[in-house]
Amino acid sequence: MPDTFFYHYDAYDRTLVSERVDQFRDQVRRRLAGELTEEQFKPLRLTNGLYLQLHAYMLRIAIPYGTLSSRQLRKLAEISRKYDRGYGHFTTRQNLQLNWIKLEDAPDALAALAEVDMHALQTSGNCIRNVTADHFAGAAADEIEDPRIWAEIVRQWSTLHPEFTFLPRKFKIAITGSPNDRAAVRVHDIGLRLWRNDAGEVGFEVIVGGGLGRTPMIGKTLREFLPKNELLAYLEATLRVYNRYGRRDNLYKARIKILVHEVGVDKMRADVEAEYAETRDGLLGLSNETIEAITRQFAPPPLPHRSAFVPDVERQKFEDAAFALWLKSNTAPHWMAGYRIVTASLKPAGAPPGDASAVQMEGVADIADAFSQGELRVSHEQNLIFPHVAMEDLPAVYAALGRLGFAEANVGKITDIIACPGLDYCALANARSIPVAQRISNHFSELARQHDIGDLKIKISGCINACGHHHVGHIGILGVDKNGVELYQISLGGDVDFGKTALGTILGPAVTADKIVEAVDALVTTYLDARAAGERFVDTYRRIGAQPFKERVYATV
Amino acid sequence: MPLYSEAGGLPATYVPLSFADWQQRPEWPAVALANTDPVEDLAPHVGRLRLIVLDFPKFSDGRAYSQARLLRGRMGYRGELRATGGVLQDQIAFMLRCGFNSFESEQKGFGEALARARTLFSVVYQPTEDGRAPASRLRLETATALLAAD
Amino acid sequence: MAKNLSGDLQVASANRLSDGVVVWLGDAGEWTTRLDRAAVARDSRAGEILLLRARVEAFSVVDPFLVAVTEEEDGAIEPLSLREKIRASGLTFDAIAADAVRYA
Repeated sequence: MPDTFFYHYDAYDRTLVSERVDQFRDQVRRRLAGELTEEQFKPLRLTNGLYLQLHAYMLRIAIPYGTLSSRQLRKLAEISRKYDRGYGHFTTRQNLQLNWIKLEDAPDALAALAEVDMHALQTSGNCIRNVTADHFAGAAADEIEDPRIWAEIVRQWSTLHPEFTFLPRKFKIAITGSPNDRAAVRVHDIGLRLWRNDAGEVGFEVIVGGGLGRTPMIGKTLREFLPKNELLAYLEATLRVYNRYGRRDNLYKARIKILVHEVGVDKMRADVEAEYAETRDGLLGLSNETIEAITRQFAPPPLPHRSAFVPDVERQKFEDAAFALWLKSNTAPHWMAGYRIVTASLKPAGAPPGDASAVQMEGVADIADAFSQGELRVSHEQNLIFPHVAMEDLPAVYAALGRLGFAEANVGKITDIIACPGLDYCALANARSIPVAQRISNHFSELARQHDIGDLKIKISGCINACGHHHVGHIGILGVDKNGVELYQISLGGDVDFGKTALGTILGPAVTADKIVEAVDALVTTYLDARAAGERFVDTYRRIGAQPFKERVYATV
Repeated sequence: MPLYSEAGGLPATYVPLSFADWQQRPEWPAVALANTDPVEDLAPHVGRLRLIVLDFPKFSDGRAYSQARLLRGRMGYRGELRATGGVLQDQIAFMLRCGFNSFESEQKGFGEALARARTLFSVVYQPTEDGRAPASRLRLETATALLAAD
Repeated sequence: MAKNLSGDLQVASANRLSDGVVVWLGDAGEWTTRLDRAAVARDSRAGEILLLRARVEAFSVVDPFLVAVTEEEDGAIEPLSLREKIRASGLTFDAIAADAVRYA
C-alpha cells in the first residue's frame, strides 16, 4: 500500500480520538440506561456527529480538509456495510453521512473509524466544525501554498476546545491557498485566503461573517493580511469575541454573521484587535518548528517524470467523443507537467447526488492505489477527486471509473447538481431535494447537450437552512412547504468564484414539483437563445437580467 | 445545591454578592457574576477576591468559559472559581481546562464524574489556564530530546 | 374515499431510542413499527390523552408527538403530511444497494 502524503496521526492524536470514543461510549450507555434525558444527551451526540433523522440516526463523519487515503475510504465502505445499509452520502462540507446507524452501534462504528485515524468529532453542535479546504489542495497548478497545513493546525486547535464548545451557534472555517477560490471562503463564518503581499510574504486574508442559511451574507474582510504564525491567536481572539457577544436570544440570529452585521465590521474588527492585542504574545503563537513539522507531512509525493504528450490519449480523444468530453470537464491542471487532477463524478444520470455504494467506494480506493498515490479528495460539490494522475494513465482511469458508474463527463455542468438529503431523510427539511435532482439529471443526461450548455451550477436545498447551497447556485432551487404541498423557489445569479461571490435573486413565484424540470428547461433555452460567444449561463444572466428568463419560465409553467 | 470543590473549602461566611452589590463594596472577597457582566472590571481587585462564582444559565450557554479564562489567564485570579447553574458532568473536563475549581450541580453522580474528569483525556491540543502541556509542545520537546540524543 | 369525519384523527409516533426506527403507540401501550397497529385517537381530547400515554411510555423512544391521519373505508390509516407519509413508508426513491456500481 502506498504511503500517504498528508498528516499522519501520531500517538497523541490517536490517544485523543480513542479516549473520545470511550467517553462517547459511556455517554451512550448512560442514555440507554435512562441516566441522561434526551435534552441532555442531544448536544453530546451532536458534537459526535450523531443526528436523529426521520427514519434513523445519521452519523456525519469528518473528512478533514477533504483529504482521504484509499485505506480510509475502504474502512468507510466496511463501516457502511457493517453498521449501515452499504452506502454513504458525501456532503457539501467534506463529510460522509451514513443514514441508517443505530445508537447502540454508534460507539463501535466510531471505534472502527478510529482504527484509520478518523472520527466524527465536531461535525455538528454549536462548536467549531470540521475545517474545510480547497479540494485540489496540494495538486492544483494555481496554488500559492497548501491550505491543508493550516487546516490541520486549526483542526488540532479547535478539537475539544474547552472555551468554544458551547458557542452561540455552529462555526464553520474554510481555507484556500489559491487565487481561484474553490473552498467558498466568503460564505463561511471565517474564511481564510492565503495570498502573497508586495513584500513577497504569504499570509492570510481573514474574512468573517459569511454564510448561507436563513440569512445569507457574504463575508467581510476582518484583516487584510495576517502573518501565518499568528493564525491561532487571531482565531482565538475572534472566537472569544463571538462567544461573549454573539446573540443567544434567538436561534436564527446567533451566527457570527448577525453579530458582524449588527455591530458593523469596523466595530467587530476593533473588538477582535483589542482582544488580539492581549493574546498575541501568549502561548498560541506558532513556532517555526511546529509549522515545519506539519508542513513536512504535506510534502508532495515524489511524482516520477511522465510525458505531457501521450499519443494514446490523443488517439482516444479523436475516436471516443465521450472520453474527449470527460478530459475537458473532469480533469484539471496539475502543478506537475504530465499529470492531471481527475474528478470522479458522483452524479451519474438520475442518481442521488453524492451517494456511493460500498462497492463503489472500494473501487475508487483501488483506482487511487493504482493511479493516484493512494490519495483522494472530497469536494464540496459532492464528488471524489484523484489528485495526482499521470496523463498516460487517463484512459485506464476513465475505463475503471466507467465500470463504477463514476465516469460521467459532467463536472461543472448542469447535471453536476448539488443537493442536500431533503425531506426523504432530514428532520429539518420542508421538501424533497433528491427526486428533483434526479429528474433534472435525467432530463439533461445527454452529454453533448450538457457540454453545449456549458458551465452551469444547479444547487438544491430542501429547506431554508441551505445545506444544498442554493443561494450560490447559478440556478438555485429551494424547496418550501405551502399548505402541505412541496413548492420550489427558483433563484438566479448566485456564484462562489472568488471576487465574484454573489447571492442569487429569486425569480418569481415558486413552482410545483411537476413543473420544475420545465422551468429549468425554459431557463436554459432562454440562455441558449441569448448568449454571446463564450458566455456562461450566469454571465448571460448578469448581462441581460432576470426579465427574459422570468417571462419564458412563467409562460411555460 | 450540592457543592463539589477542589479549592480547599472557604468558610461559609464568604457569601458572594451580585456584581451590582459588590460594586458598592468592592472590598468584599466574594462575587457572583452574570455571564453578561464585564469581567474585566474585576481586574484591579483579583488579588483580594477569594471566591468568584460564574453562572451557566443553561448548560449550552458557554459565555462563562470565556470569563473564566480571562480571570485566570489574563488577570491572574488565584482564588476559588465556581461554576453554578447548568453544570453537568459532561462539561467538567472543559470547565477544569478553563480554570474552574469548584462546582455546584444537582446531577446524580457528579462527584464520581469529577474524580474521573482529569483523566478522561490524557492529551490536549490547546494551551489553557490548567497549565497542561498541549500536544504541540510535547512533540517539540520530544523532537528536541531526540536531537540531543543523536 | 378517505373519511376523517371529526377532522382530527391522530396517532402517536416517535423514533425508537436504541436504533432510531419509526414507531407508533399501539392500543396496548406498546411501541410498534406497524402503523396499522397504532392506536387512533378520534377527537382532540382523545389525542391529548394519547400523547400523555405516549409520554408515560417514552423511556425507550425519543420525543413522542401526534400525527394527523386519515382513515380509509377498510380501516387503513395514512398520515396526512408528506413528511409523515415518508416517515411511515420510507424513501421516495431507491437508494443504491451496497454491491451496486450503478444507480438502477
